[in-house]
Amino acid sequence: MKKFVEESWLVLVMGVIFACLLAGTQTSLSARIAENQQRVLLQAIGEVVPGVETTEEFKIESNQVFKCLDKNGELVGWAVDASGGGFVDKIRLVVGIRADGREITGLKVIENLETPGLGNKIEGPWAEQYTGISTDLSLTVIKGDADPARGEISAITGATWSSRYVTDIVNDVLTRIRPKLAEQQ
Amino acid sequence: MAENGSNLQQFKEGVFSNNPVLVQLLGMCPTLAVTNSLENALVMGMAVTFVVVMSNLITSLLRNLIKPHVRILIFTITIATFVTIADLALKAYLFDVARKLGAFVPLIIVNCIIICRAEVVAIKSGVSRSLADALGIGLGFTMALCILGVVREVLGSGTLLNQHVLPRDFIEGGHTWVIMVLPPGAFLTLGAVVGVVNHLRERRAKGGAA
Repeated sequence: MKKFVEESWLVLVMGVIFACLLAGTQTSLSARIAENQQRVLLQAIGEVVPGVETTEEFKIESNQVFKCLDKNGELVGWAVDASGGGFVDKIRLVVGIRADGREITGLKVIENLETPGLGNKIEGPWAEQYTGISTDLSLTVIKGDADPARGEISAITGATWSSRYVTDIVNDVLTRIRPKLAEQQ
Repeated sequence: MAENGSNLQQFKEGVFSNNPVLVQLLGMCPTLAVTNSLENALVMGMAVTFVVVMSNLITSLLRNLIKPHVRILIFTITIATFVTIADLALKAYLFDVARKLGAFVPLIIVNCIIICRAEVVAIKSGVSRSLADALGIGLGFTMALCILGVVREVLGSGTLLNQHVLPRDFIEGGHTWVIMVLPPGAFLTLGAVVGVVNHLRERRAKGGAA
């Protein structure tokens, strides 16, 4: 027993000190980290729902949904925070849906670790092609020129899978969340 | 290690003749993975420098208390603690870069450069020498990553620190070498840079003998 204490006291003491140090850092920085994450989310909502001033947050199943209001308190649209598997790691995005629930008003990828230079183009102008697509359609990814009226999305060259994963997440939002938006009006 | 040579020399060795990446070829995982832009390379370099400085400092202060057969355990908990602190600090103050670096910040824990400095220098040397060593190694690591970061970002994206440096037609016309921001680009660039460094070292050695 004496030998045990002699040999290991330093590890135990350091363990306790380091644990306190980490707890302190976590406590002092966690508010700031949460604020950063919230800022990215709100910025994305501003991009996918035009004219949004304030939001009311609620949950549909496991998704965070934001009811978007303009400065007069009129409903301008909905923003759904959704995520799903990607080619490399989880993809998280925000989908904007028009107030009547009939059209996608924008899509913004806020978290992805897709291949730099190929798959990570999902966070750029590529995502603009989702804007204006009817929510009644089931979206499909095709190579080459796409027809938005038929719910077609043109794949990123060299990143067809990343394009499909984003579209899968959007389809999931349209089938699972969109029909329940009307109840919240 | 005997206390030969000044602290300044120990510092210089880490940056040049004993550069962790270009000469010792350690820490290859972050070197290859996060050097697709200069910004990522710089932040990774700073994070590793912070961790190696703290780890060397604590190891050196406690060197007479650490029992030889638990030393690796002590190094590991020290490194893990400071890596976690660095990770939280990046998420709080450099959120955008932290998001790009993703899992590679927590993975600094397994960066062999850091445990190597604790084992080779800090456990046997005084505080000032250990700190000089850590700063040298940290700067050497950061410098090597930045060299790769500059080459890969300019050729692969046509930008530097997210500012356009190559003609617009080049970037928008799709003439950038996408391969440079992909993993093979990291190997190609590293190979070329290590080749140049070896060439210079060989020439220097010959020059010294003559």
